[in-house]
Amino acid sequence: MEAKSFQIKKNIHLTEKLHLLELEGSFLQSPVPGQFIHIKIDPFFLRRPFSIAGYNDNTLKILYRVVGRATEVLSEKEAGDSLNVIGPLGNGFPVNNNYKSIFLVGGGTGIAPLLFLTDTLIRKNLNISFFYGARTSECIAFHLLPYGVDYIFSTNDGSYGYKGLIGEVMQQHIKKNGKPDIIYGGGPYQMLKQLAKISAKHKTPAFVSLENRMACGTGICYGCVTKIKDKTGWEYKRVCKDGPVFNTEEVIWENNP
Amino acid sequence: MGKQSLKIALNKLNLKTPIIVASGIFSYGEIDIGYLDYKKLGAVVTKTITINPKEGNPQPRLWETPSGMINCIGLQNPGIKEFIRKKLYSANIPNVKTIVSISGESVDEVKKLTEMLVKKDVKVIELNLSCPNVNRQNLMVSQNPEDTYRFVKAVKEICRSKTLIAKVSPNVTDITETALAAEDGGADILSLINTLKAIAIDTEKRGVIEGGLSGPAIKPVGLKAVYDTYQKVDIPLIGIGGITTGQDALEYILAGASAIGIGSALFSNPYIADQICETLTVFLERNNLKNLSDATGLLNEKNKTGAKKSRKKH
Repeated sequence: MEAKSFQIKKNIHLTEKLHLLELEGSFLQSPVPGQFIHIKIDPFFLRRPFSIAGYNDNTLKILYRVVGRATEVLSEKEAGDSLNVIGPLGNGFPVNNNYKSIFLVGGGTGIAPLLFLTDTLIRKNLNISFFYGARTSECIAFHLLPYGVDYIFSTNDGSYGYKGLIGEVMQQHIKKNGKPDIIYGGGPYQMLKQLAKISAKHKTPAFVSLENRMACGTGICYGCVTKIKDKTGWEYKRVCKDGPVFNTEEVIWENNP
Repeated sequence: MGKQSLKIALNKLNLKTPIIVASGIFSYGEIDIGYLDYKKLGAVVTKTITINPKEGNPQPRLWETPSGMINCIGLQNPGIKEFIRKKLYSANIPNVKTIVSISGESVDEVKKLTEMLVKKDVKVIELNLSCPNVNRQNLMVSQNPEDTYRFVKAVKEICRSKTLIAKVSPNVTDITETALAAEDGGADILSLINTLKAIAIDTEKRGVIEGGLSGPAIKPVGLKAVYDTYQKVDIPLIGIGGITTGQDALEYILAGASAIGIGSALFSNPYIADQICETLTVFLERNNLKNLSDATGLLNEKNKTGAKKSRKKH
C-alpha cells in the first residue's frame, strides 16, 4: 500500500450512469482483481473508495457513478488534473487454478472489479460466463467488455437481454446448462444476497465484493464493518481490510443493510 | 538552522516529537500503514480497551459532515484479556511510545483494567472519561467533576509510578471544571478534547446517525478548551480536535498544548505528521526558539499577565 499522486489520463461519461476514469501511473505492488483504491477528492474531508476496474500499461481504471457531491466533483475533473490515491487496498478475489468453468455476476457499477478479474482470467483459457445486470440498455457499458467471454444480459425494463434480475437469469442458466466451479460477484447488496442464496442452493462456492462507507480504508478505524460468521456466532469484520471480497457463506446477510 | 528540537517532555513522558496519534485511529498501534512515516510520531494511543469484549455498534458507523465526520464505532474491542494476550506486545513501534487507552462504566472496572496493565508494566495509560457512567443515567463520567475526580484518583492510586493521562469530554458547560477535577485526582497529563456529540440525518433511508463529531469543524472548540484549561491547571496538555495541518498544530501549541493529538485527519492525509514537523520547526527557527516547550502557551493570556486565576480544590 502506498499514497501517491496520479495524473488523470481520461475521465469520460460512458453511459447514462457510468463514468470511466483512467489514471496514469503504477503502484510498487501490482493490484489484484477485487482490490480497491482510496481517492482524495477536494474539498471533501474523507477519501472515497473505488474498485479497480483494470490495471495495465501504466494505467489504472476506475468505473464510477455520480451518487453524491464528491463523485459529481470527480466527474468534472479533466485530463491532466492530479488525484492523490492510496492503494492498492483490500484482499482481492481468491483464484484457484482448478476452476475451469466460471460465472461472473455483476450489477451496475459492481461490474468494475469483475472486469479486472476477466482481464486476468481470460489469459488462462477458461470457460467464462459473464452475467451483466443493468437498469436499462442505456446503462450497459458495452465497449468496456473484453472479447473471449460469453455475455448474458438482463435489464429491469427488458430493453436489452432478459427482463428481470440477473440472479434469476443465472439460476435458470444453471438449471439448463449445469453449475460452474465458482461464482464471483459484484453489485448492489440485494443482488449479492440473492447470489448467496443461489450458490448455497447449488452448493457452488461464491465470492462477492462488498461495499460500505469508509473512513480510513486501511483497516484502522473499524467504520466499515459487516457481520461475518465465526466459530461461536459472528463478529464485525472490516470490509476494507478483511474484505472487500468475502465468501457468501460467511456473510450474515441483513434485511436492511 | 537545524538546532531546533521537537523533543518534548510531558512530566515523565518523553516524546521525540509532539505528535500523538489519538485514540481510536490506529486500532492498536500494531497496524502496518505503509504510507505513514513513523519516524515523525511521538506516541500512539490504542483504541479504547474495556473489561469485556465489545462488538461495537451496528451500521451505519460513519457519516461525513461539512468539514468533518461523525463516528459511532461503539468502542469495538476484544476486551482487556485478549488485548494483553494478543495485541499489547505487537503494539510496539520502534521509538514510538504506546499509550493504552482504557474506559470503564464504574470505578471498579477502571481499577481492574489498570491493575492488569500495571502487572504487564504498561508505562502510560490514558483514561477515556467519555464513557457512560452506569450510576448516573449514562451521563459521561467527565460530564461530572466529582465522578471525574473519583475515577482518576482510583486509577492513579494503582499506577503511582506510571504516567496517567485523563481524556476529558467537551460535552460540558465548562471544561476547565472537569480538567481541574482530573488534575486534583492525580492525572499527570490531560488530553482534550474528545469528539462533540452530534447527529446526522439520512433522509434517503430515514435514519438518524448519532455519534461523535471530529475533523476541522471542531478545531476552534478544541483550541478554546486548551486555551482556557492552560490558564487553570499546572499539568501539561495534549491538544486534540480537528488538527489537519501544521498550522492547526502550531495554534494548539501556542494556545497552551505541550503535545498534539491527530485523529480523523490521518484517514485522508498520510503526510500530516511530516507537515506538522515542518511547520513547527520553521516557527521555532523564525522566532529563535530552541525548544518546542518554549512555544507552549506563547500566545496564551496567562503568559502575558503571569497571573493564575483563583480556583477551588476538590
